Amino acid sequence: MSRANAHVPPATRRAQTRLGIALIVPLMALVVIFFLFPLVNAIYYAFVDFNGINLKPPFIGLGNFTELAQDPAVWPALKNNVIWIIIGTAAPLVIGLALALLMWKVQRGSLAYRVAFFLPYILPQVAIGVVWSWIYDPTRGWLNQVLQAVGLGRLAGGWLGNPSTALYAVLGTAVWATTGFVFLILLSALRNVDAELVDASMIDGANALQRVWHIVLPQIMPVFLMVTTITLVGGFSVFDIIFVMTGGGPAGATEVLGTYAYSSAFQLNRISYGTTLALVITVLAIPFTVALNRLQRRLSLQGTGA
Amino acid sequence: MTDTSRQTPTPVVRDAGRLDDGPRPDRVMSPKRRALLGGKHLLLIVLSLLALFPVILTISTALKTDEDVRVNPFGLFSSFSFENIVTAWTVGSFGDYVLNSFLLSVPSTALVVVLSTMGGYTFARLPFPGRSICFYLVVLGLLVPFFTYMIPLYFQLRSMALLDSLVGTNLVLATTGLSFGTFFMRAFFSDLPTELEQAARVDGASEWQIFLRVMLPLVTSGMGALAVFTFLQNWNNFLVPLLYLPGGSYRPLTTGLYLFLGGRSIDIGPLAAGTLITIVPIIILFVALQRQVTEGFLSGAVKG
Repeated sequence: MSRANAHVPPATRRAQTRLGIALIVPLMALVVIFFLFPLVNAIYYAFVDFNGINLKPPFIGLGNFTELAQDPAVWPALKNNVIWIIIGTAAPLVIGLALALLMWKVQRGSLAYRVAFFLPYILPQVAIGVVWSWIYDPTRGWLNQVLQAVGLGRLAGGWLGNPSTALYAVLGTAVWATTGFVFLILLSALRNVDAELVDASMIDGANALQRVWHIVLPQIMPVFLMVTTITLVGGFSVFDIIFVMTGGGPAGATEVLGTYAYSSAFQLNRISYGTTLALVITVLAIPFTVALNRLQRRLSLQGTGA
Repeated sequence: MTDTSRQTPTPVVRDAGRLDDGPRPDRVMSPKRRALLGGKHLLLIVLSLLALFPVILTISTALKTDEDVRVNPFGLFSSFSFENIVTAWTVGSFGDYVLNSFLLSVPSTALVVVLSTMGGYTFARLPFPGRSICFYLVVLGLLVPFFTYMIPLYFQLRSMALLDSLVGTNLVLATTGLSFGTFFMRAFFSDLPTELEQAARVDGASEWQIFLRVMLPLVTSGMGALAVFTFLQNWNNFLVPLLYLPGGSYRPLTTGLYLFLGGRSIDIGPLAAGTLITIVPIIILFVALQRQVTEGFLSGAVKG
């Protein structure tokens, strides 16, 4: 980090120290007050029983954690998180990669396509939730209309109201919103792919799938892993879209740890328990982040592209 | 944590928003290739329309007449009127929400850009004892979701009398963007050659002048990308205003739309208009500043 600073005269070094400290004081103040302090407090909350009123809450040790392990509502929520993480990561990756490959050599109109595919990702989730609720509308929604039009009317249903489809309906919306992001990153990674290698494999008679698997994918692997990390970690703390579209219902069918933590804390005033749930989500996500980051860096260091 | 700090956002970012992608195709194409390319375009157009369909649906429903909404809310462009927009803007208070969204997004974005630039410069070029630990504390924010500490922060803001306040919410919004901002700006400053600062020093420039006059002008493109990226994040933020503006003063578009959805979800016309009002600024910003937006998000990808 401190390269090329070996021969700096002491006067300069002192001046640098003074300026450096002056420049980061406001930054550090905000980080300490609005991030580190509440973070430490979150850990404290997890070991006491705070209801939002009593300012000297009793210490209960691991009580919140043992309750969490025995709470019959936690496991279905965790299961929904796992489904969300698997499908919500895999589907955008596959679709995004397919789109990026489709666009790879296309020049004309490329800007317009990119804008179209990326736009859903930057729209607020509340707005997305509203519009997709209309698309899923049981009687007049486009999804059912289209299904009926193509003769699949028996599949039509009340997508968000039916406990067995609600989670997947919300997931579909999330996949729609995330794919553009994955697509854009993979498309820019494809620019670094050695086109001659691909052409050579074509001459050697490799089919499209083989070319993608053996030639293209290894070259964009670090970027691919990076996107995987982001979508995967995002899957742990999913909240907005579920909160807006179903609020965790019907009958808890779309409840995830995030919405459960929110309702525990702010609707049932179980502040400590809600905080503990949120902490658990973080702790679950960190090993994945670190492992994928490490793998990604190792691949980057090997010089396999990116 | 160390892993995050070592990555540079650069490789993917570099030509993020370039308009021309590599060499032009050969002018003369074999019929087979031409057909293939035509097929590709056809497929891409269909997929683009599919991706944009929810936006098209919003525009169509928002611009219907009252009567048409009641009979046929989701038929595309079957009538035209501004009734719903007017209702949403006045009766639905979306006019106020727009103003509040700006009051919550602009100051917090400015704060992120300024503080991140200052911090990024320090962490890239001004070594002092204890700097690394400060840096790690800042980028810890990249690893810990807002989620984890949102509940204690609520009670902290309450005891600081910063609930339901523009200042408090702006400070919180700014802080959620500072980890990434600092990390992002540091990468820009690290890329600048050391010779620049040495030459300025030989010419008698103070450290402050080196920062302000020599280095800062060279990272303005980075600051621009960070500003656009942060603005979008803050504009779209839902949880922060939901939690820390419970009284409803200064309610922005996101939570305003949510509230409207809860109270009057059957009023599809005004609801569509409200949705349109919420997303129009973003669409305009994105179309106008496509390069900065994608650059910000591509490098934002390291956030994880």
